[in-house]
This record gives sequence, structure tokens and C-alpha cells, in this order.
Amino acid sequence: MSRTLTIDHVTRIEGHAKITVELDDEGRVADARFHVTQVRGFEKFVEGRPYYEMPAITARICGICPVSHLLASVKACDEIMAVRIPEPAQLLRQLLHCAQFVQSHALSFFYLSAPDLLLGMDGDPAARNVVGLAQKHPELARDGIALRKFGQQAIERLAGERVHPSWTVPGGVNKPLAAEDRDFILGELPIARSIARRTLKFFRGALDRYRDEIEHFGNQSTRYAALTGVDGNFAIYDGLLRFKDADGNLLATVKRPADYARWIGEATMPGTYLKAPYFKPVGYPAGIYRVGPLARLNVAEQCGTPEADAELAEYRQRFGRMPRSAFLFHYARLIEALYCIERMEQLLEEPDILSPHVRATAGVNALEGVGIAEAPRGVLIHHYRVDEQGAIRWANLIIATGHNNLAIRQSVKQVAERYLDGRQLTEGMLNRVQAVVRAFDPCLSCSTHALGLPPLEIRLLSAAGEVLHAVKV
Amino acid sequence: MAAKKPKLAVWKFASCDGCQLSILDCEDELLTVASAVDIAYFPEATRAATRGPYDLSLVEGSITTPHDAERIHQVRRQSRYLVTIGACATAGGIQALRNFRDVKRFLSIVYARPDYIETLSKSTPIAEHVFVDYELRGCPVNKYQLLEVISALLNQRKPVIPNHAVCVECKLRQHVCVMVARGTPCLGPATQAGCGALCPGYARGCYGCFGPKESANPPALSAGLVRLGVTEDGLVRAFRSFNAAADVFRRESELHERPNP
Repeated sequence: MSRTLTIDHVTRIEGHAKITVELDDEGRVADARFHVTQVRGFEKFVEGRPYYEMPAITARICGICPVSHLLASVKACDEIMAVRIPEPAQLLRQLLHCAQFVQSHALSFFYLSAPDLLLGMDGDPAARNVVGLAQKHPELARDGIALRKFGQQAIERLAGERVHPSWTVPGGVNKPLAAEDRDFILGELPIARSIARRTLKFFRGALDRYRDEIEHFGNQSTRYAALTGVDGNFAIYDGLLRFKDADGNLLATVKRPADYARWIGEATMPGTYLKAPYFKPVGYPAGIYRVGPLARLNVAEQCGTPEADAELAEYRQRFGRMPRSAFLFHYARLIEALYCIERMEQLLEEPDILSPHVRATAGVNALEGVGIAEAPRGVLIHHYRVDEQGAIRWANLIIATGHNNLAIRQSVKQVAERYLDGRQLTEGMLNRVQAVVRAFDPCLSCSTHALGLPPLEIRLLSAAGEVLHAVKV
Repeated sequence: MAAKKPKLAVWKFASCDGCQLSILDCEDELLTVASAVDIAYFPEATRAATRGPYDLSLVEGSITTPHDAERIHQVRRQSRYLVTIGACATAGGIQALRNFRDVKRFLSIVYARPDYIETLSKSTPIAEHVFVDYELRGCPVNKYQLLEVISALLNQRKPVIPNHAVCVECKLRQHVCVMVARGTPCLGPATQAGCGALCPGYARGCYGCFGPKESANPPALSAGLVRLGVTEDGLVRAFRSFNAAADVFRRESELHERPNP
């Protein structure tokens, strides 16, 4: 008899999700699904609002990476105004973006994933959290808290508020950087850098323990998409969106942001609010591609900063030029955090960083604008159309977790195949299915606005939908 | 005998997670808070889930699905104190903008198969469904106010949260009034303090993240905004943002709305 296992509420991810694993008559995994169960409807209720309100409104999509939404949104607005923003404003936006990557990656690694990695997948769930981590590995937990704080404080220095900053505006930013704020961030930087170095060293040393996970965590052949600079190097604020195949061959370069729809299609799947973007030339559902840290390092030639490049070289030496395992999202995330810290230092030392020329003003000069930026979780696209008065007529937002939707589904299936015993629901198995989802660091608030279901519930359903067995964890 | 630690639970409905992340943002205070309470339910930070009842439930997000409308009653039944955190839980949040639109039409436009989507036509605050002991404002909440509410309730006292206007914060910070000096439209006079007058500090008008202040007078503010050149449509939008469904702001926005032709 075929059965369905449902993991109702994946914990320690931002937003909420449910996992269903369908078994066939022999108890083998037949299919897996990843559901997101809420919708907020941003794309529609922004219609009629002036374009310059979009950054503040869309920042409310997500409390974890509001800065990414702000940046994608102001870039789309810059296009509507048809302005080239002043160079110092470019630098300041990049600086803000790097700070957010540091805080978001610290949150993902230390608060959400490290408890599994360091306290053991089969450990007591009650202790597997950042507080449990603090008891067992106090230095590491302190490092995590300090690194996130570094990023958050830099955001606060630049943009006044951590969760929904209001400093980034169409045409640039609305206040120059003060010398004392630059010096403050520069003063904190060495500590952040040493935390990133030490965590990488620690993680490299621990890699051998995770051979099994590396082998079975979404170790799949997919395409990758990421922004890169014109030189092909790592870029998160601005650049060309590129697609590569699993072997590293270049599939497409999106030269103008507005051309994204030539390469990306969007499909709807049953039982989930999360849309499923796919690589258009291949079609749905075969056009799977991944975005995020793993994809960015695979698509980029080099990082472009000395320490991150050295780490990247080591990473590639271990896992090849195009690593595939979703487990390596964690490793890639740490390398990116180091890059962002180095890049922040470069930016803060730019001679123009304190310049008062930070904003261009203009009215509506184009009726359409597309902004593409890398969010910590991957490519983020904001696309607006406006009328002559600048009121939004239509909006489309494609969010990082959406791009990964098809790949997450495939990864869950792969992990379930490896660790699921059709008759038994063990703690370790449940954790691994959830941990593979967490490796993608999905942000469901962004993608739809999910969150909050009853405690973890796994249900065994017959093909007819009859409940055979239910477990609440 | 050592006193038993109070049990804290954090619940999420439709929202962006920003308010509950304010708890993780209390970096230096985080481990202290964690040692003073038993964090019994906090899915964003831990898989552990201790059974209720809980001494204090923090609720983030608004009610947008039939399932959530039932779930909030379960939360209430298990909680001694229930505190809503942020604009979504307290006033329906930015997603309450859909209360003024036809949701069914939305879905058919955004999603290729709208029949897969189960949703309510309105986004409503928690207090429309169950009794709420305290409502903490803000989009997002102020983390110090959040710490104050947690420690007040756990110590059986009333939280000390100012309910005056943003204007008072501007004066305290010596910001020049953006409305008087620059003619920039600002919701500060009708909005509750809590953000530290963030936007006026960047020479922008307040856009009402903390919702209406106690005994606000939006009609008088609207008259002032009209003198600065704000149109009727502009007034509707100004009052209709992160706290669109808060009664005082909702009424004011409806007063200026043109009837549908």
C-alpha cells in the first residue's frame, strides 16, 4: 500500500513549511514535496502605490533580509527614473549589502544550522538550539552572536534601523556616511574577520565528520544562476545574471535585467504558495537550477578579495570546480561572509566613501524597471511597471527560495531515499530531512509569507488518504 | 527550592519574521533572557517544543487563513498572558492592504492555479479573534520595548511603554520638524512613538510604522497635510500602509477615498 509521510512544520528556518514524502507499495520513496502554506499578496496590493514607496513596502516582505528587497527595489526604481546613481551612493549601497550578508549568514550558520552540525543530528531536540550550543561550545556561540552583531551594527550605523532600514532610496541613499561611523565599523572589522577565519578553520577541520551528509544532502546535478561582475567574478549588488550547467559551461548571460523573463519561467505547483521558477530553454519541470551561496561560488570565477580567494581555492581543491552537495551551502556561506568582511574594508577605505554626493533626483522617465540583486539566499528580482504619474500598474517579484523550489524538492527526495525506513520514523531521519531544507536556508516569508503551524507532525497516509499512523514530535 | 522558570512561547502567523528576530537581535541580552525563562516554543530558533500551558506567549503576524483562525484559539487556551508583537499581529500589517481589494481576483492573477490557494479575504489582527493581554506596536517592534514587556509581565507589573506621538521623540532628539521647516508631509503627530523618530532623523516624514497614538486626531493632521499639497489619494495612501487596518487609520483613509465609479 502506498503511503504519505508529512513533516508538518520545519523548524529553524525563516518562515514555515511542510514536507510530504510519498511512499510506494514497497515502502520506497516515490516522491517528495515541499509546501509553503501562506500567502500575503504583495504583488497585487502594491498596485496604485507610487514607485518610490516600493522600497519601504517591499522591505516588509522579509524581516531577515529586508536590505536585499530594498536594494532590488531601489535598483528597479533607479531604472524608472532612468538615472545613474552617484558613485559614492553605489559604494554605500554595496557596503550596506555586505553588512547584511554578514548578519544573515551568521544567523543561518550559527543560530539555525550549527546546532545540528555541532550537537549531532541524532541529539536531543530540546538542546539543539543556540542556547544549547552556548552550553556546549560557548566560544563558538559567542562568535556567532558577535558576528551577527557586527553586521547588524554596521546596518544600524548606515541605515538607522536593523530590520527595515529606511535610508536606501531611489536615486541613491538619503544621507552620506559620517566619518565617525566609518571609523566605528572599521574598528570592529578586525574582530569580525578573525571570527570568520576561525569559524572557517573549525568547519574545515570538522568536514570529515560530515562525509555522509556531503554525499547525500542534495548532491544533485542542476544548473546554477548567480550575478557576476563583468569580469566574471563574485558580485552581489550589481552585475550580469549568468546561468551555468552542472559542469560549469556557460548557458546564458542576461545582459539587461529586463531580459530575465527570456530565461526564467514561473510555474505553480499543487498545495504550495511557492511558485516554481524554471530555466525557460529547458522547460518545466526539468529546468531545475539552484541559487544561493553554492551557486554563486560555482558561477563566479574568483571572489576578488585575497583571503576569500585563498579559501575558495581550498574549497575547490576539496570538492572540485563545481561542487554539487547542498551540504556545501554552509561552507560556501562562510567563505562569502569572509569575502563580505574584506569587501567592507575595501569600501570603507575608498576615498569617496564620505562624499556628500549620494543622491540623484528625477521623476518618471521610463515606464518599466527591473532590479536584480543577490539576496543572501540567492538571486532576487523586482520588476515594476508604472503609469505616467509613477503609480505601480503591475509588479512581479521572484525570490531566492522560489528559484530553489524545484531543487529543494529533489533534495528532500534524495535524503528521504537514503535515511527513511518506510516503517520507522526516527529522530535522526526527521532531522536530516529538515536539515537538508535548512541547508538551502529557505526564506519562506520572502517567498510567500509562511509561518507557524502546530508542532511537528508526521502523518502516514494510505493512497486513499486514510490516516494509518500519526506522530507528534 | 529554586523557583520554576516561566515558560515562554513564540508563535508566528502571517508576517515577515522581523519582530521575532528582534529577540535574537538582543545579542548581549539573549543569553540572559534565555537563562531567566524556559523558551518552550520558538520554532525559528529550536526544534524543542515543550507542552503548554505557557506563562507568556508572544504572537507575531496576522490571521489570514482559516487554519490560523483556529490555531490562534489553541494558542490562547494554552497561554496565561498573550502579547502581540508588531504591526501585523496588532493591526493586520501591510498585508491588510488586501482588505480593501478583491483577494480572489488577486490570486487568479498571481497564481496560475488559484484553486490550490486557501486564504481568507481579510488580514485581521489577533485581538479580533481572541483576548490579548498586551499589544506591542511597531513595524518592526523596538527590541528594548520587547524586553520591557517580557520582563514586566514575568514580574507581574504593567509594561512601561510611552504612548505619546513621534513628535515627542523628535523633540527629545532635537530633530528639526520636517513638516514645519521643510514642508515634508509627516504622520508623526498621529503616530505612536517607539522608533526613536527614525525617519525625521533622515529628513523624511514619518510613515506611521507604530500605528495611531492614543487619542490621535487624524482629521486635523489630514487638513494640515492638504495645506502642504497632499492630494486626497495621497491621504488615502498615507494612512493605508503598515497599519492600514488599525481603526483610527482605516477610518481616516476611508474618509478620503473616492467612491468607486
